[in-house]
Amino acid sequence: MKRLSRGLRTLADCAPIANAKAPDRRMRTAVSRAKRTEGFAAQQSFDRAVAKLVQATPVSPEIEEWFANEKMAEGVKRNWKKTALHPAILAIGIALAVIAVVAWIKFDEQMHAFPGTATAKKLLTVAAMTRPSEFEPVQTEAGTLNDLFFMKYRLEHYDVPPGFSHQHTIGVRVFDDDEAGQVAQIGLAEKRMQLFLFPARRDSKTAKPEEFEGWRYIEQEGWTGAVQARKGVLFMAAVRGPKKDLAPYLSKPKE
Amino acid sequence: MTGEASKARDIFQDTLREAAFLVAKGEPPADRCWFFREARWRCLDVAAHGVQPEQGTNESTEVSPQASEQIEQLEPEQLASWISAAPEPQRSVLALYYLDEFTYREMMSMLGLKLNELSRAIASGRREFQAWLNATVPAAARE
Repeated sequence: MKRLSRGLRTLADCAPIANAKAPDRRMRTAVSRAKRTEGFAAQQSFDRAVAKLVQATPVSPEIEEWFANEKMAEGVKRNWKKTALHPAILAIGIALAVIAVVAWIKFDEQMHAFPGTATAKKLLTVAAMTRPSEFEPVQTEAGTLNDLFFMKYRLEHYDVPPGFSHQHTIGVRVFDDDEAGQVAQIGLAEKRMQLFLFPARRDSKTAKPEEFEGWRYIEQEGWTGAVQARKGVLFMAAVRGPKKDLAPYLSKPKE
Repeated sequence: MTGEASKARDIFQDTLREAAFLVAKGEPPADRCWFFREARWRCLDVAAHGVQPEQGTNESTEVSPQASEQIEQLEPEQLASWISAAPEPQRSVLALYYLDEFTYREMMSMLGLKLNELSRAIASGRREFQAWLNATVPAAARE
């Protein structure tokens, strides 16, 4: 027969009397080891006999009456407030809320995405970094620049929409971008707005320009862009500020 | 523990009243152990002012393999008397342990004891009860 360590002996002395499963792993280990020792069987037999005698102890009718309504001693039910404030529930709730917000943002992005979104966002960054001195000074109405683009750069359909055509320009420049192709950038005097014209993305199978209806907004680092597709060319008006700064120009009647 | 049914009833009702008061304050008892813990403290308080049990000689002997046969010859009241005469906290430990309704952790929580204190109280209770058994039911002990 083996001898139990002091720790296991301590636990085995408190071993459950009934054959019910021990409440925790340490106790199960202690009981399992104690069963291999001398005296544990006698201890269990002793405990069961005493417990049986305790169960047989008569309870007077008077005392039975005290427990007629056992619900008085029922465990406490947690109300919804306590349940909600439990750290585990709180953590799960916050995690679900974060996932929901991220999913909503992604969904919203997908809903507002259009062919050329990535290029338009890149050009918003260009707008933020461009200084007025980088433009070739041209002071005219924006609507007249299509001739300049066609004559000088052979850029067809680089037309400024009517809402912006009467705006006075401070300068223009045309540059090549790896992704966007030939980009025309126009600086305006009003609100220091900038206009961009660049080729629409083409479908890889049909080679036709991918177009879309109406105006689409994009926002990035405090800048807002309103993009429109016409005749295979995307036009973007960019302004430093919110959507409402661009809205008056877009609501004007179209061609 | 109190030695009188009427005192026990008062303690029972006081404990329930205290629980109802806590519920009304929005701080209901956290678990069922609260009732036992609260009632025990009240019992101890009452018992401290009442007639004290006579302290016996605490003889003890190892648990006998024939103990169960000896115990079968006892009346429940004899066991109840023996446990009632045990000193605290052994009396509470034995009462709760042999009710066989609580885990050792619940007993530790209710009685405010450490594991080794609980274990010692149960183990010494067994040995002392065995000694008392041998004196009370000697015929069975010799079998």
